[in-house]
Amino acid sequence: MNHIFRRRGIVAGGIALTLAAALIGCSSASDDSGSTGGTSDDVTAVQSIRSMSNPYHANWADGGALFGDWADVEVVTIVDEGDSQTQLSKIRALGAEGKVFALNVDPNDSSTTEAIVKAVTEAGGYVVTQWNKPDDLWPWDVSDNWVAHISFNGETSGEEVSQALFDAMGGSGNIIALQGILDNVPAKQRFAGLQKALEANPGIKLLADQTANWDRAEAFSVTQTLLSQYQGQVDGIWAANDNMALGAFEALTAAGLAGTIPIVGFDAVPEALENIQNSDETGYIATVSTDPWWQGGAGLSLAYQAATGKIKVSELSHEQRAFYGKQIVVTLDNVGDFTKAPLLDALKSDLENPFLRSQGPIS
Amino acid sequence: MTAVLEVKDLTKRFRGVVALDGVSFEVRPHEVVGLIGENGAGKSTLLKVLTGIYQPDAGVVLRNGEPVTFRNSSDAARAGIGMVHQEQSLVTSVSVAENILLGAEGDAVRFGFYNWPKLNAVAQRQLDKIASAISPTTIVEKLSFAERQLVELAKAMYVEEGAQVEPVIILDEPTSVLEGAELETLFAQIDRLRQIASVIFVSHRLEEVLRVSDRVYVLKDGRSVGETDAASADIDLLHRLMVGRESSAQFYHEDEQLPVDEAPVKLQVKNLTRAGQFEDVSFDVRAGEVVGIAGVIGSGREELSRVLFGAEPSTSGSIVVDGKPVKFASPVDAVSSGFGYIPAERRIEGIADGLSVAENIFLVAPQTAAWGPFRNPKKALEIAGAWIKRLRIRTPDERTNVGNLSGGNQQKVVLAKWLNSPELEVLILDHPTRGLDVGAKEDVYIFVREQCAKGMAVVLLADSLEETIALSHTILVMRDGRIERRFDAPAGSKPKPVDLVERMV
Amino acid sequence: MTHPPTVDERRLSPRVRRLIADAGPLVALIVLIVVFAVANPVFVSPGNIGILLSQAAVPLVIATGLTFVILLGGIDLSIEGVVATSSLVFALTVANDRNDLALGLFGALLAVLAGSVFGLANGLANVKLGIPSFMATLGLGAVGIGIATVLFAGRSPRVLDSGMRMLGQGSTLGIANIFLIAVLVLVIGWFVQRFTRLGRYGYVIGGDEAVARLSGVRVGRYKIGAFVLGGTASGIAGVLLGSQLGVGMPTIGSGTMFTAITAVVLGGTLLTGGRGGVLRSFVGVLIIVVLANGLILIGVNPYAQVAVQGLVIIAAVVATGWRLRTRVRIIK
Repeated sequence: MNHIFRRRGIVAGGIALTLAAALIGCSSASDDSGSTGGTSDDVTAVQSIRSMSNPYHANWADGGALFGDWADVEVVTIVDEGDSQTQLSKIRALGAEGKVFALNVDPNDSSTTEAIVKAVTEAGGYVVTQWNKPDDLWPWDVSDNWVAHISFNGETSGEEVSQALFDAMGGSGNIIALQGILDNVPAKQRFAGLQKALEANPGIKLLADQTANWDRAEAFSVTQTLLSQYQGQVDGIWAANDNMALGAFEALTAAGLAGTIPIVGFDAVPEALENIQNSDETGYIATVSTDPWWQGGAGLSLAYQAATGKIKVSELSHEQRAFYGKQIVVTLDNVGDFTKAPLLDALKSDLENPFLRSQGPIS
Repeated sequence: MTAVLEVKDLTKRFRGVVALDGVSFEVRPHEVVGLIGENGAGKSTLLKVLTGIYQPDAGVVLRNGEPVTFRNSSDAARAGIGMVHQEQSLVTSVSVAENILLGAEGDAVRFGFYNWPKLNAVAQRQLDKIASAISPTTIVEKLSFAERQLVELAKAMYVEEGAQVEPVIILDEPTSVLEGAELETLFAQIDRLRQIASVIFVSHRLEEVLRVSDRVYVLKDGRSVGETDAASADIDLLHRLMVGRESSAQFYHEDEQLPVDEAPVKLQVKNLTRAGQFEDVSFDVRAGEVVGIAGVIGSGREELSRVLFGAEPSTSGSIVVDGKPVKFASPVDAVSSGFGYIPAERRIEGIADGLSVAENIFLVAPQTAAWGPFRNPKKALEIAGAWIKRLRIRTPDERTNVGNLSGGNQQKVVLAKWLNSPELEVLILDHPTRGLDVGAKEDVYIFVREQCAKGMAVVLLADSLEETIALSHTILVMRDGRIERRFDAPAGSKPKPVDLVERMV
Repeated sequence: MTHPPTVDERRLSPRVRRLIADAGPLVALIVLIVVFAVANPVFVSPGNIGILLSQAAVPLVIATGLTFVILLGGIDLSIEGVVATSSLVFALTVANDRNDLALGLFGALLAVLAGSVFGLANGLANVKLGIPSFMATLGLGAVGIGIATVLFAGRSPRVLDSGMRMLGQGSTLGIANIFLIAVLVLVIGWFVQRFTRLGRYGYVIGGDEAVARLSGVRVGRYKIGAFVLGGTASGIAGVLLGSQLGVGMPTIGSGTMFTAITAVVLGGTLLTGGRGGVLRSFVGVLIIVVLANGLILIGVNPYAQVAVQGLVIIAAVVATGWRLRTRVRIIK
């Protein structure tokens, strides 16, 4: 008796769900046909980022929009303001719309990555993740819905930006280095890059390396102390991020040395870019950019091509499903490329072939 | 001659307990009036009424013949009544001058800014009144205890400045922590005070009271039961007035006191000393015996009880249990040697407020309701229920927060906590009936008798002499950190309170 | 029978103990200076001494304000949030690259005032709502970070007012302006502590709140006052940091709270209140700054530096708090 009732209950619920799904499906389909002119498949292009008020993610979103122009699809942007729960629930809501979606996401942390790829797999969408991923979790172990993971190797860029610093010093002299939080992975990779560059440049000597914990005020006082310790001997300053480099720059300003000692950093924050534009006066030689427009455009393109079937995920190699993107050293020569969005033409080849900038597999 | 201060029929009740029951007395100009009475006689309540901390339920206070009402301590100060507190009320981290003028700086502080020279000058004036050489700029913590008392006195004298009348200065047990030369200085001080003020001298040391006072009032159970000129006073009479009726043997279940002469010695204390607190204390406690320790504040008995329980270390001497010497580094060691401690500060040291009655009962011996390392909640509730029944603890159930019980019932929970420990052999009772009503007190007495019958060794620090005498087999009177005298107190031939008091002061 | 009075434990541990607690921090500072000077003469070079003073400035300002709160037996954990908000108010009201405001010194005063308002909120929450100060200030500190993050809007506003930059960057007669300002704050703090009711009652309330109440002292009012002083000091610190680094940032105050609390305690102000003072905190600040600077100069491994700092701090705190040890009886 009881048993039968329960079965009926399930059937009734199933019908209600189907109806609801149909209704939702109808309404969103009609929206799409309006905006895309019916040229596209039933695939929604979505990018999930932290915040539009943060310049890095704003640039990322612009890159996604460029992809939208190129592929002639509307791009939906999800913003979570750094809250992993919000990010996850908004992504789950995509699945409930019952449509295939292509997602390019910057997960807030490694554990969120795992939850996101599982949610997307269940919903039958396609996702490209960037930056954060649990070390032992790989796309091919999860599903074909997790198309690829893109990250960046600080060691290579660390070597390149260090070289830029050494070149500005004329190939010889002494430097001091400000490290990030010791034991932090990017901090280690970047410092390893510096050490490689030092090996290749015997004329350069590392006087001292100290941690300033990624912090600007701390970098200010550590730089002050090191300048006093090595009075007149410091010919260059290397910092593991722009925030610390900017603190060092202010310490140089306070000591009346701004512009005389070259500085490099990482991350391409706007203040650093402004300083690089005036590098003659500021001495701020270079920083490193991951090119957020590429991250937004190429990442979304990869997810979209997988969703539309243009790329067969099952045929991709491991090297294509977890790879390092290319980081670019930003100097006075190319800083203009990073203060505003690129033209679509400049990014076109990367949108067509999202693997173009691959620097090899993530190890 | 009008009295400078007169109290008529003052009554004060606390939740049904009568603390002051129609007290009357008067202080005449330049007179030193002694006020004596046992703990709980109502002395401190009376003083708090006179200084505006409590408001009386009935009766009047007249100042120089005018009725006055004190709503707070400032009102009393404005009327020229200053007090030197028994427990000193100085802030030790600031200067003497700041303490003397605290809260009533007057012109010495303008718009929130200190005029130090003026502040120090006003303070110096007060110190001069009592001819003290203490500098007003000294930080109080650098002063000795006796010096601090002088500062308190100067602070009390400061009421004169605001009141513009000769002050009445109350000295609350000023001698309890003084000795020898310091005591003489104080007496000289009081003689000087007499010239410029009227003094109320509160103490339970009769000799001292008689020595400095002109007249003496005796307080008992919230009433003034006697008044006499000090010159013609008879100490024995005052003793009797102070202690009151003979102890009621029935109330204390004296007939249940069993002889212990044949019982084995359970606890031996040998030459126990804690430097500066008590010295060379030796006594034995037999199984089933109650040893009562009598003594005034500062006699060292409180400190002795804490050392016995391992709460403070001893300097030398030894404690022997069942013939084996024991060493207590902390109460943990004492508990594992079978000691239990019922503290005076029940709310702070006895119960764990916020935990249930049952949880409190199992604090000492959780193993009595456990499966190995785990709690056995069913058994715990069963045992707790049994204790509640046995000790007649009035509580809605075992799960009630112990903090919500009345004082007497809380005390019973503390008793249950210790009794629940199967290893308990020695019980230290530190004021076990403090703050309890008569019914609850009787329950505690019955309980003590029961435990003795089972062979428990008990060390008792009682609230009153009557209690000490009635409950104990043996009484030790302590004075100035030493055992002054040992009294046998078998049922039926108990010593008189007067005998004890003579040895205490 | 001669025995000392029974009540006071301080008499059992006489002058020597008090001397250690009083002069200990100063002795520690001198020892550190001598050790570092011997290990690396650069440490006592005029250049490095100038740097030490300028590095001491921000912690000194914060520690001065915090001393008043700790003297009362309270704590202020809102420091980093208040510093953050203040730095952004400063950066957004003086000439900057975000808006057209250019209020100059008035902008700096607004930023300091923002700190005072936080202090007032801390005090009201503690006194009127009865929230323990560590909880109230922790909450309001988070509010401060939140406000700062909203004002920050993803990008640091840069300070373009060169006059205002001179507060943190310039120097007068060879001494960093930032240190001169900090000394001014210290002097004001000392004056308040020594000559005002707010300062004196801080000791009384921290020493024995019950006595203060019984003496008719309006305890709540003075507690709130102490929190306002603390907040104001954090506000000044926010301006100084904003001026020094030329930006307002939510993370600009990170690490300042730990330094300040440590400095106050190291200097010998008891966390239980009643004893201590701003000059002692100055010594505490110098110990921390000297330690951080000196450990770099003598080339101690960065990993070990943090550990060494921690050990020195624990040693100092144990030394100052030793006499309160060992008592089993619970002191209310």
